[in-house]
Amino acid sequence: MELEKIRKEIDVIDFQLLKLLNQRMRWGIITRKFKSNVEDKTREKDILKKIEQNSGTLIDADFCKDLFKDIITETKRLQEIGYRIIAFQGEHGAYSEVAAKIWDKEMVSVPCESFSGVFDGVNSGLYEFGIVPVENTLGGVVGQVNDLLMKTDLYVVGAVDLPISHCLLANPGTNHREIRKVYSHSQALAQCKHFLLRNNLEPIAYYDTAGAARMVTEKMLDNSAAIASKLSAELYNLEIIKEKIEDLDRNHTRFLIIAKNKNKKAGNKCSVLFSTTHKAGTLFSVLEIFAKAGINLTRIESMPNQPGNYAFFMDFIGSENDEKVKQVLEKMEKATTDFRFMGCYEEVIG
Amino acid sequence: MDEIKLAALNKNLDRTIIKIGNVSVGEEFFVIAGPCSVESEKQTVETAIAVKKSGAKMLRGGAFKPRTSPYAFQGLGLKGLKILEKAKKETGLPIVTEVIDSRDVTWICEYADVLQIGARNMQNFSLLKEVGKSKKPVLLKRGMHSTLSEWLNCAEYILSEGNPNVILCERGIRTFETYTRNTLDISMVPAVKELTHLPIIVDPSHGTGRLSLIKPMSFAAIAAGVDGLIVEAHIDPRNAKSDKDQQMTPEIFADYMKDINGLYDAVQKIINKPKN
Repeated sequence: MELEKIRKEIDVIDFQLLKLLNQRMRWGIITRKFKSNVEDKTREKDILKKIEQNSGTLIDADFCKDLFKDIITETKRLQEIGYRIIAFQGEHGAYSEVAAKIWDKEMVSVPCESFSGVFDGVNSGLYEFGIVPVENTLGGVVGQVNDLLMKTDLYVVGAVDLPISHCLLANPGTNHREIRKVYSHSQALAQCKHFLLRNNLEPIAYYDTAGAARMVTEKMLDNSAAIASKLSAELYNLEIIKEKIEDLDRNHTRFLIIAKNKNKKAGNKCSVLFSTTHKAGTLFSVLEIFAKAGINLTRIESMPNQPGNYAFFMDFIGSENDEKVKQVLEKMEKATTDFRFMGCYEEVIG
Repeated sequence: MDEIKLAALNKNLDRTIIKIGNVSVGEEFFVIAGPCSVESEKQTVETAIAVKKSGAKMLRGGAFKPRTSPYAFQGLGLKGLKILEKAKKETGLPIVTEVIDSRDVTWICEYADVLQIGARNMQNFSLLKEVGKSKKPVLLKRGMHSTLSEWLNCAEYILSEGNPNVILCERGIRTFETYTRNTLDISMVPAVKELTHLPIIVDPSHGTGRLSLIKPMSFAAIAAGVDGLIVEAHIDPRNAKSDKDQQMTPEIFADYMKDINGLYDAVQKIINKPKN
């Protein structure tokens, strides 16, 4: 029994080492944006010197140096590939990351603590893209994101409509009969309420779904589970006890992909943002333009802008290259104030 | 049988009909087939596809196994349930699986369509109460040393908890006979029919323990008026982890289905023949 326990500890450490390595590689890829060449001899020497000095008493300094030489080689290989980076809010395994992988699985996804971190990073050029949730069929509008979209000059270059499917995750080997507590974001817990009730499981709110998965792994909990994405199960080495535990299957989140530049290739959907003057019938006159042109609106959302004034987000079907759409946009610009064309893009159904 | 209240045949009540998948149990004849134990995804899914092809309407398969010896294969547990779920996704066959522990009832309900109470657990009253609280159909096997009255009392336990969906299953009883694994008591079929409104099926695989006897005993059960049959089939019985000797290969099962369906039709003709 003792040996088994120690080995479990070792497994956890291995897992953490791998996670840290991945994290290091991702930072490595980001640093490429600041350098003209992949190779930087001075920096490499500097790293190896620090490693040599700090290798500790147990491990051989040469072993450490060799290990880091390998790590540096791998970092450089990854830098050469020229990965593009997409930032998301939350921890690895978050539904935003799931959506990012659906949009383009070749991209490197980087977690940010806040939505504004995503917007700022894309604005400064640190990340090529950002992915943010704008609305959920059960939870409604993500106010913070819409607020940031209103204040930014970034373009919308893509969208993902993701069906949210929750999994019950536990450490491998956990006896399902022993599971008592389930950690997750309060919204995910609410969406699986009946499942939890049926199985006598106690819901415990956590700040994030993926964060809950990570905590269950790191603390090696054996009487607890987490509700998170399938991706979290892979990332945190957890076993899926049950897939699709949500009570309703019409739980979708819509994500927008933002970038500094407009899409080169036009898509089939457009987003605009505008305000109207405070007069009777001004919003109606905008909607009338669409009605007369026979263009289908897919979303209209109002956000308070200044006291008594609102900004409107509007999405519609069509390409900015269509003559019909071009005319509508021209008319719209005249009929509104603060008009901004946010982008024309493809929407992916996850 | 005065204590049998909810299960008893009642002139004012229709016979119980339970809709499971696309079968109306109690109204149309059906066969449940599948391996004794869920051993692997490949074995279960392949068996499911094969039995569906031959006309089985539900898939059986044990994930939690009650074994005589604690050292024998105990089943894959939750992993087995996930495999059964996969087999259902592939074939659309509803899942029948045994529950042996009251702590598992809600979990098995998440995956299965029918909860089976095995012969060894027939009088496990806390388990009966627990499945009675669920709304899933329950397949209640007769205990190997139980009288009809004891058996029906167990059905009463489930019914009295509020679950009306009970299917009885005769699977043989212990006698001094050793050639067969159990003595299949076909007389229970008409007996249950005259005493209760519940559907009854027969398990000739456990009832005989001999491959060669499964078909003739199925014939007998059909002639006696059974509502359905449950048999064991395995993609590769020789390498099965349990019940090697009584599981049918897909070929034997295909042939079996042809013959029992033929006999069922013939029997219906006789029963439905207008009397002069």
